[in-house]
Amino acid sequence: MNSPHFKKILIFLLSSIGLIVAPHIANIPIALFGFFSLVLGWRFVAVWRPQYLPRSRVLLFLTLLALTLLLSQHKHLLGRDAGTNLFILALGLKLLEIKTERDIYLVTYLAFIVAASLFLYQQSLFMAAYILAVCCVLFATLVAINSIEIQTRVALKTATLIILQAIPIAVVIFILFPRVEAPRWMIFEEKNKAKIGLSDSMEPGSISDLGTSEELVFRVKFTGAMPPLKQRYWRGPVLAHTDGKRWSQFNTQLFKGLALTKPSYTGTAYQYTLLMEAQEKNWVFGLDMPEQFSAPLALTGYYQLVTQENSKKRAEYKITSYPQYNTGELTQVEYQDATQLPREPSDKIKQFVTQLHGFDSKPEEFIAQLLTHFRKEDFHYTLTPPLMEENPIESFLFTTKRGFCSHYASAFVYLMRVAHIPARVVTGYQGGEFNGVGNFLEVRQANAHAWAEVWIENQGWMRVDPTAAVAPERIEQQLNLDLLELGGEIRFDPNMINQQQNWLKQMNQLWNSADYQWQRWVVNYDSDNQANFLSTFGIHDFKAMMKWLMILVALITILLSAFLLRKKQKSIAPVLRLYQRFCAKLKPAGLIRTNREGAHDFAQRAKIALPEQADAIEQITADFIQLQYGRVSSREDFVRFAKAVAKFKLTVHR
Amino acid sequence: MQKYTHQLLDSANQIILGKEHKIRLAFCCLLARGHLLIEDIPGVGKTTLAHTLAKLLGLHYQRIQFTSDILPADILGASVFDGKSHEFTFHPGPIFNQMVLADEINRATPKAQSALLEAMEEGQVTIENKTYPLPKPFFVIATQNPSHQIGTFPLPESQLDRFLMRIELGYPDPKAERALLTGQSRYKLIESLSVQLPPEQLQQMQTLVTKVHTSDALLDYCQAIITFTRESSEYHCGLSPRAGLALLSAAKAWAFLELRDAVIPEDIQAVLAAVAGHRLRSGSTDSEAIVAPILAKVAVF
Repeated sequence: MNSPHFKKILIFLLSSIGLIVAPHIANIPIALFGFFSLVLGWRFVAVWRPQYLPRSRVLLFLTLLALTLLLSQHKHLLGRDAGTNLFILALGLKLLEIKTERDIYLVTYLAFIVAASLFLYQQSLFMAAYILAVCCVLFATLVAINSIEIQTRVALKTATLIILQAIPIAVVIFILFPRVEAPRWMIFEEKNKAKIGLSDSMEPGSISDLGTSEELVFRVKFTGAMPPLKQRYWRGPVLAHTDGKRWSQFNTQLFKGLALTKPSYTGTAYQYTLLMEAQEKNWVFGLDMPEQFSAPLALTGYYQLVTQENSKKRAEYKITSYPQYNTGELTQVEYQDATQLPREPSDKIKQFVTQLHGFDSKPEEFIAQLLTHFRKEDFHYTLTPPLMEENPIESFLFTTKRGFCSHYASAFVYLMRVAHIPARVVTGYQGGEFNGVGNFLEVRQANAHAWAEVWIENQGWMRVDPTAAVAPERIEQQLNLDLLELGGEIRFDPNMINQQQNWLKQMNQLWNSADYQWQRWVVNYDSDNQANFLSTFGIHDFKAMMKWLMILVALITILLSAFLLRKKQKSIAPVLRLYQRFCAKLKPAGLIRTNREGAHDFAQRAKIALPEQADAIEQITADFIQLQYGRVSSREDFVRFAKAVAKFKLTVHR
Repeated sequence: MQKYTHQLLDSANQIILGKEHKIRLAFCCLLARGHLLIEDIPGVGKTTLAHTLAKLLGLHYQRIQFTSDILPADILGASVFDGKSHEFTFHPGPIFNQMVLADEINRATPKAQSALLEAMEEGQVTIENKTYPLPKPFFVIATQNPSHQIGTFPLPESQLDRFLMRIELGYPDPKAERALLTGQSRYKLIESLSVQLPPEQLQQMQTLVTKVHTSDALLDYCQAIITFTRESSEYHCGLSPRAGLALLSAAKAWAFLELRDAVIPEDIQAVLAAVAGHRLRSGSTDSEAIVAPILAKVAVF
């Protein structure tokens, strides 16, 4: 058990177990992970110093310690987390008592289960590739156990070959095997995984550095045409209430509820599929303004789409939106909400509004005046505005004049309300990067945006984006956030995009596209999707599924084995093949030639077992030896040998 | 030719009872022009075997009893000053015989051992810049006590390699033992033996042995065995190229004894334990066990 052979297998096995457990570091408590690492390290040392292996009493103590640790972390042994942790600890402890070859098999199979448990936490394409690679090493361990001589490269090659041969069957089973809904305990409890996203409120004055994140929020695939960049506003929560600094959603029951009246839609319809990433909130960001949507979605009184299902996993929605719409009349409550002000505006503000004819002209004119003011005066768009803790709107409008979308949107809405025009802040996402490879839009956290909505007689709610007035590039061109220098202002020069980064960008798009397809076709392949997909092939019921499953698996097995057998036979010389046929003919008599047995020895055995056919056996063996090992052998010898083998027939007397 | 070998082996079997296979191996070793090492405890018939073979082959026979104080000169001979002719004359040592029995070779110091082994390898002795050829045929049978016995200098691997084969005789089976106990004195029996295979015939046979055919298929098997010993973790070091040549020539001799003009895998299997055992693991005396993994795992074809 301490031979170098065994040592090598152990090293193989321990490394692969280390690799398979490593990604769990994010999923299991640090105390348990530490315990496992210690045990693994111990076993590694013991490969060279077997005397350090613990005795059974120590092992018992360690087991109790592990259980105590586990219970202190989870209080129970059920559920995904506790179950996985139990498995990992058991695997670690089992490592310490590897004694025979059987134990290695056991540990290897345990490791396979731990590998599968990784999917309970993460189902990304990257993780799948990683697990496949580690499984390859585990297979190589199994190959190594069964080979005379361990050569790492050969073992890995064999393992890869085994996996490659298994892939067709795996694909068939994946597609055809009936999907079972996961039991409750398996439902993914992605605690901290949900994206932070937009929040319920915003307080532009208290932010001096807007963190931008490249984290993906959702992807959109349009079935027909795509709306121009200017119209790509993805509607999120509406912030109508303000206390002067902070903007938040009204908690009125009315607006939490569903929309009572639907707007009337005009213009082009855009149909698209929206794939939301997992998130904490139940918001779904439809293109402004959504018209048709499927079951779990609902439209709130703020025309925001929300899902009524668990939003903590990725989900796909089919939506139709119209960029032009009329929301119609405003109710009394809505009017009050949309003109709410925390206190009487200051004289400076009033004076400013008067100056821009806020009180004595039509709302449209005031809006145009205000936007012009933003454009003409020294206003700048920056992600790192100065702090404005007291009177943020006034300081922004008259002093600092620097801010990002939230500053402009909130100041704009505030001024509208001062002029008694109903207005509110709408948050969401704007734009999105087009992935040319996968033909879809990717909307990231960095695309988060805030704009204003103004209610105008006969037109209903109308979108106004004051940020566009200051920095039209922010809306019309995709702003490359990689170019942002901390503390500096954004430069919207498209030439600044570094040529060198183009291929990086392309690679990135390729990867995102692959990930999208993976999500769509593999991870989201549930019973509904399966039924849809299979019905295109005319498979409608369980019976047909099973039938096709059997047929395809059998077909692949036959093809693979035929291929393997043919390959094996080809490499054998004709003389040897004939001799093997002769041996096969002797098999029914219980005469089986072992690999190590020469023809001569085998013939001696056969002659004793079958005395009445001794002559024939003798002749065939002599010919074979002559052909295989002799000095000279003619064509006639071969023909005679072939004939003799063909003629040979086992006669058994009972 | 066949008659000679048959008679020779028959007669030898009369003297050393129940050891047909070992005697055949010993003769096979001789036919392959190799030297033989017999490793076993005292009293199982090592000397008797050597003596019998010498007698049956009609070879000049000399026995050298190795002791811890034996010197190279005691084996090779020395130049002695002749007072009459006023010059040094060479007095050949006991090694100048066709068959030399080096008894208990591991009791001698490494210096004496290497003197013998050098002579074996070169087929000649060089003393004081003069070279003296050894007689032909020249055949050394060395015996060795198992090295765990006290007061021995076990031969290092490099020198064990000089012996084509190592065999163990082992205790006789009960039947042979009884025949031995009731029969005549072995010494007298050896005295009464007649020459069965004169030296000229032996040399002719040795030439014929080298001409036994080895096919590609057989060389594949031979190479598979060598490769296996080099790659397997069972062995510290694999068979050297010299060992490979030894294996092949011993197999040829075995095939010759089996009256075949071509070597077959069974011939290699028959001599493998004797040829490879001491080269693969010098410490162990159970050659069969040493080569068992090779036979079990290397496919014949």
